[in-house]
Amino acid sequence: MHAPSPPAFPQIWRNPTLKIVVCMKETPSTEVPKSLGADMRLVRNPSDTIINPFDEYTIEEGLRQQEKLGGDVIILTMGPGTTNDPMRRALAMGATSGVLVSDPALAGSDAVATGRVLAAALKKLEADLVLFGQSSADAYGGIVPSITAEFMGMPLLSYATKVEVAGNNVTIEREAEVGYTTATAPLPALVSVAKAINNNPRYPSMKGIMTAKKKPIETWTLADLGLDAAQVGAGAAKERVTGATPVSTQRRREIYNGSAGAAQRIFEFLVENKII
Amino acid sequence: MDFTLTDEQLSIQQTCRAFAEEAIKPIAREIDEKSEFPLALIKEMGKMGLMGLPIPEQYGGAGADFLSYCLALEEIARGDASVAITMEAHISLGSTPFYLYGTEEQKQKYLVPLAQGEQLWAFGLTEPGAGSDSGGTQTRAERVGDEWVVNGAKMFITNAGTPISGGVTVTAVTGKRPDGRNAITNLIIPTGTPGYVIGPPLKKMGWKASDTRPLNFDDCRVPAENVLGEEGNGFHQFMQILDAGRVAIAALCVGLAQACLDESLHYAKERKQFGKPISSFQAIQFKLADMAMEVELARLMYYKAAWLHMQGQPFGKEAAMAKLFASEASKRAADQAVQIHGGYGFMDDFPVSRYWRNVKVNEIGEGTSEVQRILIAKYLDAR
Repeated sequence: MHAPSPPAFPQIWRNPTLKIVVCMKETPSTEVPKSLGADMRLVRNPSDTIINPFDEYTIEEGLRQQEKLGGDVIILTMGPGTTNDPMRRALAMGATSGVLVSDPALAGSDAVATGRVLAAALKKLEADLVLFGQSSADAYGGIVPSITAEFMGMPLLSYATKVEVAGNNVTIEREAEVGYTTATAPLPALVSVAKAINNNPRYPSMKGIMTAKKKPIETWTLADLGLDAAQVGAGAAKERVTGATPVSTQRRREIYNGSAGAAQRIFEFLVENKII
Repeated sequence: MDFTLTDEQLSIQQTCRAFAEEAIKPIAREIDEKSEFPLALIKEMGKMGLMGLPIPEQYGGAGADFLSYCLALEEIARGDASVAITMEAHISLGSTPFYLYGTEEQKQKYLVPLAQGEQLWAFGLTEPGAGSDSGGTQTRAERVGDEWVVNGAKMFITNAGTPISGGVTVTAVTGKRPDGRNAITNLIIPTGTPGYVIGPPLKKMGWKASDTRPLNFDDCRVPAENVLGEEGNGFHQFMQILDAGRVAIAALCVGLAQACLDESLHYAKERKQFGKPISSFQAIQFKLADMAMEVELARLMYYKAAWLHMQGQPFGKEAAMAKLFASEASKRAADQAVQIHGGYGFMDDFPVSRYWRNVKVNEIGEGTSEVQRILIAKYLDAR
């Protein structure tokens, strides 16, 4: 006979020390027309900065996990930090605290540098469960979660439409062409949350708004993360935007007169355009 | 002079604006047509902390300041008048008296569930025969042993008959003052008290989704401890309550007027006559300009009254002026909104017909326009 195996550690079920970190991006308001500067970077107006709309689902998911499991929800963001509005809003929704990584050397960072920085910050935070949105509403890259996971050497479960933490594991459901697939990884792990999770992000509560200012927001620089300025920013970027063209939305119309052969023509049109 | 709102005030305003747009406006027509109290919505507002917005945290509220509460009401009213009046009556008339005059025990017992939005509370002042003449209250309460025995009737009472109504605070004559006038006392009457009969919902021209009922008290007995505040001081207490309530009603009216302007501007840009959008005609532009000016003026008036209140300065005159001007401005705005919409404005398919029905009562409730003018004249010492 052998001794019963010890409980899996870390014991996550209602764990007061659980750290759920939500990576949030501050993006330009979707109501304001976007424009690019001469450097091909998005012009950002601090007063029109909002929580990346995809990240609202992620914050909601983080708060729901916290309500079930206990622990803290920490908002991690990297940006110029010219305004705290999106961060305060996330705190008003119910998050525990915030960390802003801000350094002049970060300007112009590409997705790889962003992943490097977030990975360093997440390691410093000793996150148990890291949640990302599916992408950002300004760049739509959608690759930062995988790059961050790679730098951390941790599993990433992507495009989750359901997140379930049990014991020391996180399990997700992901929409497939037919039905859904499930995937499981041991904690600590990263999960990117799909918009299709449709979890009805909450409004900030009035109490949340009144107490958001009292919640701590730490600001970390590259030095705090032990990173070298040469590894990040425009200089280290492996990708460069060389040009941008507005999407053309010209309508192409074809009017078919007469009834003879109309059905055949519609059928051919649909086939030609690979609609059927 | 600084009109800048604090971060918290701005955030409350923005959150309420989004909530009104996304959660209230889409159901406003339906609840009006069905005269249906929006229970699920009010419960959601309770969870968000809106139903206890200006009540301190220690009593279950959000601890926001009075202006924040008014800003929230303006935005909620922009979404729907019935929802806004439910919130206003619950906070200004139902909950605030407990906060201002309640004992610590009463605050814990009654105020906490109200501020948390678990219950609604009503305030019963108006009677079938005593409207503007609130001193002419006929409802009587007699002290018998350790109890008050209440007999009488109240009229047009908001929030008394919803599924989550916790009770009503009523004004009742409990004796004579030294000067021979009636001594009025506020009494706490929980829902379900024998002899407290809640009448059927009244059928109204507007505010159709809010709960408005007649109440009857037939040998209704409550313990002696159910006095709210000082015995015999009820008249003075509800005068104070109504002062602050008027500022809140002014904010509510500004929301209604703003909604009229929003719809009118939108419609005027879309509607074409003589080959041009009607917004390009001066006749329409002047209407829009006047509406915008009056909305702004009414808003400034409630801001100032709220500010005075928050500074602990006298604000009764400014409150009466703000309520009077805002209610009449919202009626003018609704009238012009229907006019700008033409025939469509008379149809229920456009919200302005509902707005037009909803604005009238603001010239009546919580002190008629005539009472406001009498009050203002009193402050001027015009005799």
